[in-house]
Amino acid sequence: MKYRIIDGASGPTLALSDQLLFDHRDLFEGAIDKVLARQPTKVVVDMAGLEYMDSAGLGMLLTLRDRATRAGALVCLRNPGPEVAELLRLACFESLFTIEQA
Amino acid sequence: MGDAPARALVVDDERMNREIIVANLRAAGFETVMAEDGLQAWGILQAHPGSFDVILLDRRMPRMNGMELLARLKADDKLAHIPVIMQTAYAETEDVSEGIKAGAYYYLAKPLDRRLLLSVTEAAIADHQRRQRLADDLDKRTTALLLLEQGRFRFRTLEEGHTLAVALARSCPQARHLAAGLSEMFTNAVEHGNLGIDFDLKAELVAAKRWRQEIEARLDTPLGRSRSVEVMVDRHPDAIRFVIRDQGKGFDWRVYDDISPERAFAPHGRGIALARRLAFASVEYNDMGNEVTCIVIGPDTEETACVVCAEAPAITPDRPAAEAAETRLARSMQMELLPTPQILAEAARRLGVRVSAHFEPSSSLGGDLWGMHVIDDNRLALWLADFSGHGLGAALNTFRLHTLVAQCTPLADIPGAFLAEINRRLTGLLPQGQYAAMTYGVVDLVADAFVYAAAAMPAPLLRHAGGGVERGDGSGLPLGLTQGAAYVERHMRLSAGGLLLLASDGLTDNPMTDGSRLGGAGMETLLTQADQTTRDNADSVLAPFLARVKRPLRDDLTALCATIP
Repeated sequence: MKYRIIDGASGPTLALSDQLLFDHRDLFEGAIDKVLARQPTKVVVDMAGLEYMDSAGLGMLLTLRDRATRAGALVCLRNPGPEVAELLRLACFESLFTIEQA
Repeated sequence: MGDAPARALVVDDERMNREIIVANLRAAGFETVMAEDGLQAWGILQAHPGSFDVILLDRRMPRMNGMELLARLKADDKLAHIPVIMQTAYAETEDVSEGIKAGAYYYLAKPLDRRLLLSVTEAAIADHQRRQRLADDLDKRTTALLLLEQGRFRFRTLEEGHTLAVALARSCPQARHLAAGLSEMFTNAVEHGNLGIDFDLKAELVAAKRWRQEIEARLDTPLGRSRSVEVMVDRHPDAIRFVIRDQGKGFDWRVYDDISPERAFAPHGRGIALARRLAFASVEYNDMGNEVTCIVIGPDTEETACVVCAEAPAITPDRPAAEAAETRLARSMQMELLPTPQILAEAARRLGVRVSAHFEPSSSLGGDLWGMHVIDDNRLALWLADFSGHGLGAALNTFRLHTLVAQCTPLADIPGAFLAEINRRLTGLLPQGQYAAMTYGVVDLVADAFVYAAAAMPAPLLRHAGGGVERGDGSGLPLGLTQGAAYVERHMRLSAGGLLLLASDGLTDNPMTDGSRLGGAGMETLLTQADQTTRDNADSVLAPFLARVKRPLRDDLTALCATIP
């Protein structure tokens, strides 16, 4: 996994690329720390560059959601590719997150 | 010896005898439990069938004598494997022969010699543990050797022989016994054949606890390095033939071909006879004794149920010993959560549904678990769960789930309610970021339907007798996230000859050697292409995948197949 944090007017965007796998959980936790340190009210996860995510990736998104909720921020998942979108659909994540397709 | 002290049950009606044995065994680090006669021993064993590593049994006792107890033990599935050491007088060779026939392979002469008591007890336990380990290893390795028709293998060390024995046995019927049998034969070929260690020298080495050391030393000489054991395998429709040839000068195999009353008192020298009894329909040496042909009859076409457990081949070798022991314990506990062959047989008998599974954790511990429950003569519940993550944490969650599933039995026939209840109980129990995916469904032969609910699992697939594959829907909120989540019940129409396939995402998402993934579509292809003329079990359906998946597995893999009668 690779990530970039882009600061915008409505809050930070966490842009993920490559793959989100079990092995990346420490890296992802670090990214959450950095994003939440900005004390946002909304966090956008840009998934357009994410080619693949496994079930551990779902867990990491849930961790992000838990921690953001406690910090008073909403999480929005944006532009997942077809494979990632299928996994989000399988796990009914639309009931937990806002999922946006731009 | 294993991690915990070995435990012996000492059965003798004479108090003095009993106490001498117990004192000596305790001094040597054994735990002991005493019984005054066969009947009392039987009661203890019935109450604690998994608690003993060895039984020291006196022959003549009131109420129930040693032979009667022995017969009961060998007729009991849970107890038959415990090694029994009979105590008897040297002169009574007829007793010894009778005991051997009844399944007691170790003998202690009266009056007791302390040194022999310990060495025979240790040998019996070591032999037994070695066979148990083989059986464990057997459960955990997958093999492409199922496809083997003819092959030639060569090995040099005991370790290589062990690996080969397990791999070959997995490709044959009665694999459990065969692994032990082949392993005995391979060990003989190395130690007695190539390395020239004879019976008397082995006795000395074993007594001095230098046997393994001596083997290693001899393997490392120019002669040891130059010699290998050749194994040729031929599979015929009704029999499998193994020819094992070493490069030694041969030995007088006739002496070892049976457990003779004369040798019954020695701590070792039973390998060949045990192998023959356990595994092979016939064992024949060439005249010189450096080549042996072993025949296994099979395959058993009546065999209806099978569970295959497999382990990633790469267990980190440099893991600290204590952690490895804990992991081993946890893993064996987890394996015990899986359905037993008895439950599979019950489903086959009562419903005619044959269930088979392939269960293979990615590291030494997995977050996958599956189970089944015969509701009545027409309904069978099947479930498969996958906790996020793997390793010890995920494995602990599978223990939790196993308990929860048992507690939810009253809802067993209502899949939607069942998952909702599991979700309710798991929510708040799991640490942040962890969840479970699960499919729970009921095969209902009266309604001709598979009624199921799912939480974020790969879609269940159903192959109809005509060959078409129908795809279900595995979507649903993962378990353990939100209180009060509801789960939709979905239906698939069952028909005779159908084959149902449920799998964890280890099947769709584990990368192959070429970097690709099977995906849902690939899973369908597996089922479509599985040869309908052979037996529909999980292993044969998965065979093309297992041959191509990259190992060690990145994610736990579980797949269940159920055939519809």
